[in-house]
Amino acid sequence: MSDAVPRALEDGLRLAMPFVAALLVGSILLAITGRDPFSTYAELFNEALGGQSRIAATLTAATPLIFTGLATAIAFRAGVFNVGVEGSFYLGGLAAAWVGFAWIGLGGTLQMLAALGFGALVGGLWMLLPGWLRARMDVDEVVTTLMLNFIAIGIALWLVNGPLLAAGSANSATPMVLAEARLPRLIPPSTLNAGFLIGLAALVVYGVWLRLRVGGFENRLVGLNPRFARSVGISVSSVILLAIVLSGVIGGLGGATHALGVVGRFSEGFSPGYGFTGIAVALLGRNRPVGILIGALIFGALTSAGTTVQLFADIPLDLVQVLEGTVMMLAVVEAVRWARRRRAVRAVAP
Amino acid sequence: MPEVDSPTTRLGADGISRRFGSVVANDGIDLAVRTGEIHAIVGQNGAGKSTLMRIFQGLDQPDAGRVIVDGRPVRFRGPADALAHGIGMVHQEFMLADALTLAENLILGAEPGRWGIIDRRAALDRARQLADQAGVDLDWHQLAGDASVPDRQIVEILRLLYRGADTLILDEPTAVLAPSQVDRLFGLLRALRQDGHTILFISHKLREVMALADRVTVLRQGRVITTIDVGSIDQDALAQLVVGETVEPPQRTACDVGDVILDVAGLSVAGLGDRPALDQVTFSVKAGEILGIAGVAGNGQEALIASLIGLARPSAGRMTVHDEDLAGLSVADHRAAGIGYVSADRAGEGLCRQATLTENAIAGEQRPLAAEARGWLMPGRCKQRAQTIIDRYQVVHGGLGRPVAELSGGNQQRLLIGREIDRSPSLLLIAQPTRGVDLKGIAAIHRELLAYRQRGGAIVMVSEELDELIALSDRILVLCGGRAMGIVDREDASTETLAPLMVGAAAA
Repeated sequence: MSDAVPRALEDGLRLAMPFVAALLVGSILLAITGRDPFSTYAELFNEALGGQSRIAATLTAATPLIFTGLATAIAFRAGVFNVGVEGSFYLGGLAAAWVGFAWIGLGGTLQMLAALGFGALVGGLWMLLPGWLRARMDVDEVVTTLMLNFIAIGIALWLVNGPLLAAGSANSATPMVLAEARLPRLIPPSTLNAGFLIGLAALVVYGVWLRLRVGGFENRLVGLNPRFARSVGISVSSVILLAIVLSGVIGGLGGATHALGVVGRFSEGFSPGYGFTGIAVALLGRNRPVGILIGALIFGALTSAGTTVQLFADIPLDLVQVLEGTVMMLAVVEAVRWARRRRAVRAVAP
Repeated sequence: MPEVDSPTTRLGADGISRRFGSVVANDGIDLAVRTGEIHAIVGQNGAGKSTLMRIFQGLDQPDAGRVIVDGRPVRFRGPADALAHGIGMVHQEFMLADALTLAENLILGAEPGRWGIIDRRAALDRARQLADQAGVDLDWHQLAGDASVPDRQIVEILRLLYRGADTLILDEPTAVLAPSQVDRLFGLLRALRQDGHTILFISHKLREVMALADRVTVLRQGRVITTIDVGSIDQDALAQLVVGETVEPPQRTACDVGDVILDVAGLSVAGLGDRPALDQVTFSVKAGEILGIAGVAGNGQEALIASLIGLARPSAGRMTVHDEDLAGLSVADHRAAGIGYVSADRAGEGLCRQATLTENAIAGEQRPLAAEARGWLMPGRCKQRAQTIIDRYQVVHGGLGRPVAELSGGNQQRLLIGREIDRSPSLLLIAQPTRGVDLKGIAAIHRELLAYRQRGGAIVMVSEELDELIALSDRILVLCGGRAMGIVDREDASTETLAPLMVGAAAA
């Protein structure tokens, strides 16, 4: 195809644009505060990608964003603006941690698989209600899923401060999961773990499903034009319900890998907003597998550089946060364009 | 002095060219619309009419050539610039705010009054004055969303006059109107000409051009073929200029009528208010038969088709296909029972504009296709199926992987009809089969429908073109206010017999 290359190029540019713009904004800020932008960026780059351990830290930071970005993208592709991935991530993490420490006697890999599976299951079930409300009653999912986030975080906090609180622990956290439930580390001593590989596999499965499976085809058509989908006999409400629930499953799986791979338990402040950063990742990645991966890696790099850079260099963490914030803001531009189209499509639907 | 620079030329094009990639949309167009005339522009899909109008509105810029207004070259950056020069356009899709009244829509953007307070009395006075001048009567307090299509169109026109336009560009204004409504519009346009307004009128319908325009410019493949006085040419000669060759009208031959395919009894669909959208309609269609559905737009045609394909749930009644009762079942069930559906809203419902040709061609058949391969949609199989439809129905395209939005209207329609007929349904529901399609395309679509009938297919066809219904149908059912006013046999079908039924007069 002769036009495949320009299209990929255009996508690449659209993905890069917010980051380039963010770097420009950041360099103005740096210049004003009397720092040299180039050397600062070089240092940031070095912190994120200079050497094996730093790359591993970046990949670790990217892992939860791969899941939340993918979870958001699945719903987006069906035309559903699910902002409730954060809630699924929380509950999936808690559920996996619980299986990891409480189901004693499963043993071996089974313990880990059961914990992962249960996390994914809980994440999916959590989205059943907003999915049903949207699919059957046409209740706006943005409101329901956003509100459910607060409920999910509330439930999780109550559980780790009460029934699931580790004995003798002062801070709100569950007991550590059994060693068999931990995801294997890829490059010890770094915390990079098998969760990253599971994330990559999920991206591949998503890409294949979208392009080659009949379910993915229907998912895309519903997202592009629900009236059209209905008129050719696709059950729009089932497709929407499935997309929201699948979104929750992936969000829950993301929480489970985070609990079993990085934290080793569930604790208060489990997610610093991975679900919301995932929205930016999906938007910047245009809901495509490779785009999501790149988006997650860039945000991961910013995060991992940000945490170490202020310890060793004269670069405030605030700068990294300004960079992140600018990228997010530009991602919102994409979100608004998307929402307009969605509204236009829904307005003509009966 | 070339005519375009003459002071009597209100709006002109001087050698305008515009290309999109390898496609030349406008190729050195010269056009001079004289002050106070009704000037028609005709041409096939893709002849370059829309591009030229977009340039006249400043929505697009020419690669070469100039837009001339009153003998002077101008450069429009957008519709506001054009309007400042007195040139306004009524698009095919109306741009009224549904939640505002017609009077509010009229003044929107140039409200009379001061200090941010709208002088509603002045607005209403001005509205009535404009309507009087134009010789139309409107309920200005009605919400635009509740107003009828022709009333909305007239408000669009009056709004441009209110904003000071003396030159109107109308893009296919009659596409959405019933015959009697067309007369009212033409009366308005003639009255405007009387007052010295200039009108540029784009149409596919040569009969209307002959009836209304003073002069006509024929475009073909981006070039001006000729500009000619309407009085000095007849319709057939004009058609030949438009197409560039003679078009044979499809021959309708007698064919054997078979068993009853579709049987509908007492079918009703609830409307928005108390009145049902469809009220106890009963009819049947046999194999090898085309049942036409006539009626003024918005009299139950949409509800009928929607309930027959399962998009709308009937509130009462029965519909069977091959003796299988389908009322209340899903669209998928209706399609599985052997019904094909060609939507009147080609771009919004019939096809998915952003999806590729292949995806559009297999939509609706994705499950049977995937069932052959355990749920996989193999790209090769999908392309093969798309290619079959595209070849058989002569869809001109730029690649199977390109979005359908890039196809011209006629090619989109051929793809849509091809997709639905190629499934070999026993019943085809088709609404507005040739809306926005050019002359050659219309003949091809009619041929396709007749061939399908010849093979024993049954068709229910809704159309706002009475000529089309009369030319193709075996019988014509007339709807008015959701009720069946009568069924007219082919031998008796004519504008004279159908028109009274369409406005609700009982069958003789």
